[in-house]
Amino acid sequence: MVIPDLGRAVWPPARSGTGPRVEPGSFRDPANQVFHAGGDVLRALDETAAAHWRALAGSTFFPQLVAAGKVCGTEELPPGAARELLAVDRLDGTEQRPAWAAVLRHERIPFVSHPYEWSYAMLRDAALLHLEILRVALPAGFTTKDGSAYNLQWRGSQPVFIDVGSFAPLREGEPWAGYRQFCQTLLYPLLLGAHLGLDFQPWLRARIDGIEADQMSGLLRGLRRLSPGVLTHVHLHRSVQRRNAARSTADVRAQLRDAGYTRQMALATVRGMEKLVRRLDHRPPASHWVDYQRTCGYSGADRAGKERFVTAALTGARRSRLVLDLGANDGHYSRLAARHADYVVAVEQDPAVVDRLYLALRDADERRVLPLVLDLADPSPGGGWRGVERASFVARTGADTVLALALVHHLAIGRNVPLPEVVACLAGYAAPGGRLVVEFVHPDDPMAVRLLANKPDGIFPDYRRDAFEALLQGCGSVEDRLELPSGTRTLYQVTLGG
Amino acid sequence: MNHLAYLDAGSGSLIVQAVVGGIAGVAVAAKLYWRRLVSRFRRQPTDQS
Repeated sequence: MVIPDLGRAVWPPARSGTGPRVEPGSFRDPANQVFHAGGDVLRALDETAAAHWRALAGSTFFPQLVAAGKVCGTEELPPGAARELLAVDRLDGTEQRPAWAAVLRHERIPFVSHPYEWSYAMLRDAALLHLEILRVALPAGFTTKDGSAYNLQWRGSQPVFIDVGSFAPLREGEPWAGYRQFCQTLLYPLLLGAHLGLDFQPWLRARIDGIEADQMSGLLRGLRRLSPGVLTHVHLHRSVQRRNAARSTADVRAQLRDAGYTRQMALATVRGMEKLVRRLDHRPPASHWVDYQRTCGYSGADRAGKERFVTAALTGARRSRLVLDLGANDGHYSRLAARHADYVVAVEQDPAVVDRLYLALRDADERRVLPLVLDLADPSPGGGWRGVERASFVARTGADTVLALALVHHLAIGRNVPLPEVVACLAGYAAPGGRLVVEFVHPDDPMAVRLLANKPDGIFPDYRRDAFEALLQGCGSVEDRLELPSGTRTLYQVTLGG
Repeated sequence: MNHLAYLDAGSGSLIVQAVVGGIAGVAVAAKLYWRRLVSRFRRQPTDQS
């Protein structure tokens, strides 16, 4: 099966001396392992996994999911290519385990993101896609080995299931192995928002395996026990977990099979869960960021000048593969950038603003703008095993163009970050030779005055336009500049490292 | 090797799925517990002897 969306084939990989690189987040399931090689994403399968893959590729439901864009495009490489990878050691560096039997090539996801960087509606849509995939797989005799939020990624506003190695033939009489993981990484975070009004992102960021039923039951007491999904998926779940803690899953599987568990019951569970997840909603209270574009004090002339400047920066040199729009707010400039770039990541710290942006992008079926919840003064650190299983935000950047519009003053004044640090950080998000389009809000601008009013007088003596320009010149060459008509804001286009 | 079981599905999490899997699922869970109960009473005399 060949999927048109797979992009450039670079096989065999260029002999750069490094060879295929193991994906650090791919080690939990020993049956398969993801590698990066020559710009491609590859998945090596052991003999059993290869047999499962061939059954999957020959099924009716799987190609339909791929064609609809719900599962990432995948093709099997010819045996010669697979042999090349057989020389690669497993993650543990030993060669004692069975050799790989087949190698798959996956469609590249333009920017890998983590569930704790998604907004509420994004997590809900990701959960619904996972359930939909299971609902169509079960009647065809397949299941997924797990149920993790990390099985999902995004093409702009479209969720996509990436863990093709998770599909396996269904064993009649067995419930879904991924149910607990689904609860911990998808359902419980959604319940936190819907029933407690809490943002789920810090919870998922702090715990790679998600939230336990034990923790949830402590939070959802009293009348909240009666809220949708709580009595069964939280309290009953926790109580049955406790009572069966000493029993092995093998014993319980056998008991359920003997008692007559069927795939129809698994389907009923999935349908019930879909119904529940669709009902869950969380509207975070509107912060001042929600109306920021309207209230931030730009004149029409300022806005038009800024749009022209950003457009010229994006069209003047080679086309950008990746644009990072930092402090994207309502995504106005992200969408503008998407007209002139392959992919735009719109970073914004307020979950409510990102949720609005996501819903607008989803309505427009925008596949080239990915909105993410991220505080630039506290970006996602590396997580999981050795801190590399989930790459940090900094490690995933390397943009051709970084947009930092109306951002510097929030970091330098609002968060007390020294100005040289702010400039170095913004430049560091770009690839070598990349571009930085940055706006400096002068100290006498009404927004800057408002921020400065909350800090002692004279605390930021370096927050000046000449100091900022000297810092920009230190990290590249300033190609263009524009003072906006209001006279209190200046835009710069910098080629970095020049 | 059971490749479906790389993940610890959780014994309790498997049983709960029967309970939330409709009326037939509840019946399966009830049967499972009934059989456990019966087997406990059956085993007891031999344990004591």
